[in-house]
Amino acid sequence: MTFFRLDPEVYARHKDEVLRLSNSFQTIERRGLSDREIAERLGLDERTVTEIRVVAERDCYPLDEWERAIEFKRKACADWAALALKRPELRSP
Amino acid sequence: MSGLPVDATRRVKALALTAGAAVVGVADAAAFDAHAPAPHRPADLLPGARTVVVVGGAQPRAGDWVAASPWLLSTMGTTERIQGVGRRVAQVIESELGYYALFVPPGTASGDAPFLSLMLAAELAGLGARSLAGPVLNREHGFMYWSAVITTAPLEVDPPETAPACPAPPCREMWERDGTTPCLRVCPADAGGCLGGRIDGGRAVRTTYDAARCATRVHTHWVGGFQKVLEEALSEPDRERRKMLLYGDFMTRTLWAITYSSTNVAQCFECLRVCPAAHGLREMR
Repeated sequence: MTFFRLDPEVYARHKDEVLRLSNSFQTIERRGLSDREIAERLGLDERTVTEIRVVAERDCYPLDEWERAIEFKRKACADWAALALKRPELRSP
Repeated sequence: MSGLPVDATRRVKALALTAGAAVVGVADAAAFDAHAPAPHRPADLLPGARTVVVVGGAQPRAGDWVAASPWLLSTMGTTERIQGVGRRVAQVIESELGYYALFVPPGTASGDAPFLSLMLAAELAGLGARSLAGPVLNREHGFMYWSAVITTAPLEVDPPETAPACPAPPCREMWERDGTTPCLRVCPADAGGCLGGRIDGGRAVRTTYDAARCATRVHTHWVGGFQKVLEEALSEPDRERRKMLLYGDFMTRTLWAITYSSTNVAQCFECLRVCPAAHGLREMR
């Protein structure tokens, strides 16, 4: 038995649809589908859908988004400390 | 009741509280079916499951919420404290009541997806309700960490909470005044954040949640960040530039976080930091 490798072409073809149906982007009108449910809907096997979903979740945003996350938290945290402690000098510049 | 002592539920709950839980409730295992797909239901994990005991606690302290560095609260997120209570509950159900008890593992079943939604379990056990920001908030304690035990024991089930903590009165007032709430304002999906929603008839209605972006914030220095930098490093042909990526602050912090895994999993609390229902803002000296 060989190690399971997702075919990049299969990934590219189904990535957006799998993400839309999964729980990765949630909207109020429907619950996300399980990998098995998505597989049934798209005519794929469950293992392939799992791999597409897992890779796509990581692939959604570029590395720059991680840098933005750091700046977001630094600013939000400092601004809250300034407000909660009534110390305006703690606000982020 | 299949030989279950009449005071079994009371005993399990008392044990959980003594072991350190702030709250404890019991959900009907079958109630998950309407909300969670297979294989993320109690009976998918423990065939014959009847109930799910949920414990909550280990909340951050007031000092953690007002800390001036965002990295402090992430290291305070000690979920393992409540996991220890869950494990103790499972042990007692088996040793004292003689029923199967499965501690729900805090890890993932595939990718970033959990075995069972602990937030759904908390809701169904009547311990809180989903907030606009996402996490389940308890009316008395606000934000907490959760642990769950699936069991074949037919314990007495608690009703769902009828009056959710979210939206808090200040948030309802803010919505009327500004058309937003503290959590929606700090992390708006339509402006580079994760959350979308509204207050409708006094109730919080969550319309959008970008879980993938949330993962870059909750798990900044974590598995996803590690994979992204590793991918970048493998694609970088210049050895010195590769070194800057692998030896730099981001990768170093990420490896510290991963190796201290159980105490540094949650790394973003900004939607809850500003939430009046999550922890309040008690006057401290």
